[in-house]
Amino acid sequence: MVLVLALGDLHIPHRAADLPPKFKSMLVPGKIQHVICTGNLCVKEVHDYLKTVCPDLHIALGEYDEETRYPETKTLTIGQFKLGVGHGHQVIPWGDLDSLAMLQRQLDVDILVTGHTHQFTAYKHEAGVVINPGSATGSYSSINYDVNPSFVLMDIDGLRVVVYVYELIDGEVKVDKIDFKKTTASST
Amino acid sequence: MNFCRYAALRRQLLIDPQVLKNGSCSPDVVMDNPLSQNPDSMWGRFFRNAELERMVDQDLTRLYPEHGSYFQTPGCQGMLRRILLLWCLRHPVYGYRQGMHELLAPLLYVLHIDLELLSEVRKVYEDHFTDIIDGFSFHENDWTHKFDFKKLPEYMEDCNGSESPVKINSLGELEPKIQTIVLLSDAYGTEGELGVVLSEKFLEHDAHCMFDALMNGTGGAVAMAEFFSPSPFGGSHTMFPPIIESSAALYHLLSIIDSSLHSHLVELGVEPQYFALRWLRVLFGREFALEDLLVIWDEIFAYENTKFNKPGTNDAESNVGVLNSSRGALIAAFAVSMILQLRSSLLATENATSCLQRLLNFPVDVDLLKLLAKAKSLQALAVEAINSTPLLILPRLHGRRNAGFTKAHIPSLDLTSPRTTLNMAHESYWEERWRVLHMEEERKQGSAASAEKQVPNRKKGWSERVRLRLSRTKCDPFRSKATFRKKNETDEGRKNIGGDVDFGHKIPAEVEEQDVKDTNFSTSETRCSSGCPGNEENSSNISDLSTPVRGTNDYVNMSGRSSVASNFSAEENDTDSVNFEPLQANPESSPLPVSELDPDDDTLNSTQNYHSVIKQAAGIKERKLLSDKFQLFWKFGRNINEGTSDRAAVSEDAIACDSGSDCNNVAGSSIVNGCNSTSGISKAEIIDQNLIFSLSDLGQSMLENIQVIESVFQQDPDQMGSLENCKNAIVGEGHITAMAALEELRKISNLLSEM
Repeated sequence: MVLVLALGDLHIPHRAADLPPKFKSMLVPGKIQHVICTGNLCVKEVHDYLKTVCPDLHIALGEYDEETRYPETKTLTIGQFKLGVGHGHQVIPWGDLDSLAMLQRQLDVDILVTGHTHQFTAYKHEAGVVINPGSATGSYSSINYDVNPSFVLMDIDGLRVVVYVYELIDGEVKVDKIDFKKTTASST
Repeated sequence: MNFCRYAALRRQLLIDPQVLKNGSCSPDVVMDNPLSQNPDSMWGRFFRNAELERMVDQDLTRLYPEHGSYFQTPGCQGMLRRILLLWCLRHPVYGYRQGMHELLAPLLYVLHIDLELLSEVRKVYEDHFTDIIDGFSFHENDWTHKFDFKKLPEYMEDCNGSESPVKINSLGELEPKIQTIVLLSDAYGTEGELGVVLSEKFLEHDAHCMFDALMNGTGGAVAMAEFFSPSPFGGSHTMFPPIIESSAALYHLLSIIDSSLHSHLVELGVEPQYFALRWLRVLFGREFALEDLLVIWDEIFAYENTKFNKPGTNDAESNVGVLNSSRGALIAAFAVSMILQLRSSLLATENATSCLQRLLNFPVDVDLLKLLAKAKSLQALAVEAINSTPLLILPRLHGRRNAGFTKAHIPSLDLTSPRTTLNMAHESYWEERWRVLHMEEERKQGSAASAEKQVPNRKKGWSERVRLRLSRTKCDPFRSKATFRKKNETDEGRKNIGGDVDFGHKIPAEVEEQDVKDTNFSTSETRCSSGCPGNEENSSNISDLSTPVRGTNDYVNMSGRSSVASNFSAEENDTDSVNFEPLQANPESSPLPVSELDPDDDTLNSTQNYHSVIKQAAGIKERKLLSDKFQLFWKFGRNINEGTSDRAAVSEDAIACDSGSDCNNVAGSSIVNGCNSTSGISKAEIIDQNLIFSLSDLGQSMLENIQVIESVFQQDPDQMGSLENCKNAIVGEGHITAMAALEELRKISNLLSEM
């Protein structure tokens, strides 16, 4: 019952002023155990805000981040799952599943979380899951102007992860749910 | 029985949100996602349960550490947690309150002990536990027989683990106790028709049922849950929570039985719920050891719990609902007998705090049987009392609750153990009031302590005055505000002023050390009140002593400062002038201590020595003057304390710059000092220095001061006009008295110079 929040590409303050209020009201401290951020926060204030949501914060370096000391990729283990974070602008073509799968094999993780495309996607392939939480503020990207704010909440429980996707469409929060099960409990 | 119900409940309420997902058919994800704010969502419930569990865990870890070998084991803790959670989830009205676990723990303990005993007996007397029907003994292994399946697992274990039993042939040869146990386990005997009474597998279920019954009262009157409820009992017609009502009933019973003790407690302001809350909520669980508690509970539960139904009782006159049964009466009677046990020590104490301490730390070595016997004898009386507890008592109780705050010492709610779970609004209000009063009390004690040191023979009148002064708060904030403002206006001179003020600030903190503070207290006191010429004595002492050490400013600065000081003095009337009065007395006494004193003494000694000097001086002076001074001083010190916290640094700097005896500076600073109080530490340093100076210097400085003051008084009152109206009135008064005081000071200085 570990709740992991995945979000990124906020581009505050350059492209967006803040998270949508409906999202902010949902992100109450105390419920979430980990936060994974794909990058492009961009300023320290956002970092501090995310810290208030949950003290366990993992950030990957995006190309617009003002704090350059974040790592480019990061791996962590939660329960039975290994998670990897990267921003995604290094993976070319941007958002391509095969290339992302390459990165996933490189990092040797079950769940890879990347961003940069500002578009929510969640792919499953035989080696694991690739998740793109999109842009939590709905800021424009280099390839897309019309972006819906979205983020992802993962509920990791044993060998199973439930991915809740929260999207703000036309001012309403839409939630979707995807189930993934890990086939083997191997730790290799 | 209830086993199935409990099991079902357990499954249903202690849910894992994940588990349900498998079975359910696509619940609305928008509603049921983990971040959903929707209170009905599964996740919402999950988080609420988690919160409840956290609270329960907090209490469980602290449960009965002295019996930790049982209560702190994970199995027992898990059981307790599940039972408590389930009960609280089923009764969301009450939620989980601290104390519920203490009610449940002994129940579980009893069940466990019984079970242990049973298994031991089983081991020893194995033969008698076999089913004997029609002369044949059928062992449990024979599955064709219908018997209580629940008994099987334990019996198998026992069979495996049993030693060779003692050969006893018939049941009748066993001890009666063991007989009972054997019979109770007999699934087929007459007692066995109830089924197996004790069963390890269903320990938890049993405990839950018992706990539920205890809390609900099973239709009777005493429902423990009521003691945890913040809202008024349904059947009562008063607006108070049941625990308050019951506490009032306790006191009512006590007043019937022992009215002198009752009135004594009431007079002190010891409200019954301070201690009764803990007693009743846990049914005395915290006052006695576990074994004793079980004895008490046996007695309590032996009494019937059916509600008394007084026919013809109209609604206007209510009984105390929750104690309205013979069991309730026994509980009340027991509580009263506990209070009576402490009778002598309670009557001896004069303040509520120690009373409560006595009540809350019930002595361990009491004769329990005596207590119980007494309780039983009082029980009949209690029944009557509870049936007739008039409504009138409760509103009075409420009224007293408020009145008591203003009058007596309000004991800290902290005394009522961590399990005080009164309504949160109540608690914060009470605590706040207590703190306010406690601070006043502390200051009073602080100044009282210092006053006692100084003037032992004067305490009585002084303490009375202090009480009066306590109510005088009107002008004091103004004082601190004005002084604050004034201080900001000056620069160099301000340092001394600030230093002076800080002295008052430090006074409450360093009561024990700085006896000299008393004199400073008096200084400030004079400032605060009006028309107390005598008060300046000590302040003048201090100011004089400190003047030789004062700053580096020349006369010009001094006059600037003195103008400021004059404002103070004007406001605080005759502070300065009166300051010089006691010197008349001091010179006689001070030569002796001065010569005796070793300048190398640490500051503390020197202050104390100086203090003794002042004491002698004080002894010579009129009593009234000093006592007034102390009051004012203390008052002022308090205000200064509240008003100024940042001037400490300033004062330190100011005082640090010791210099030679520049009379002008001395004069100016003395004025300032006369007006304010200096920091205790700096005072100490000053006093060290002061010891060196001769009296003639003092006289000289006094003279200078007088001159300055006079010049100040001749200044236009525009400075005074800048003060608030409150001060203006006082200023006017002080003006006259200040002039009078100045005259006296002049005389004293003349005397000094002659010496």
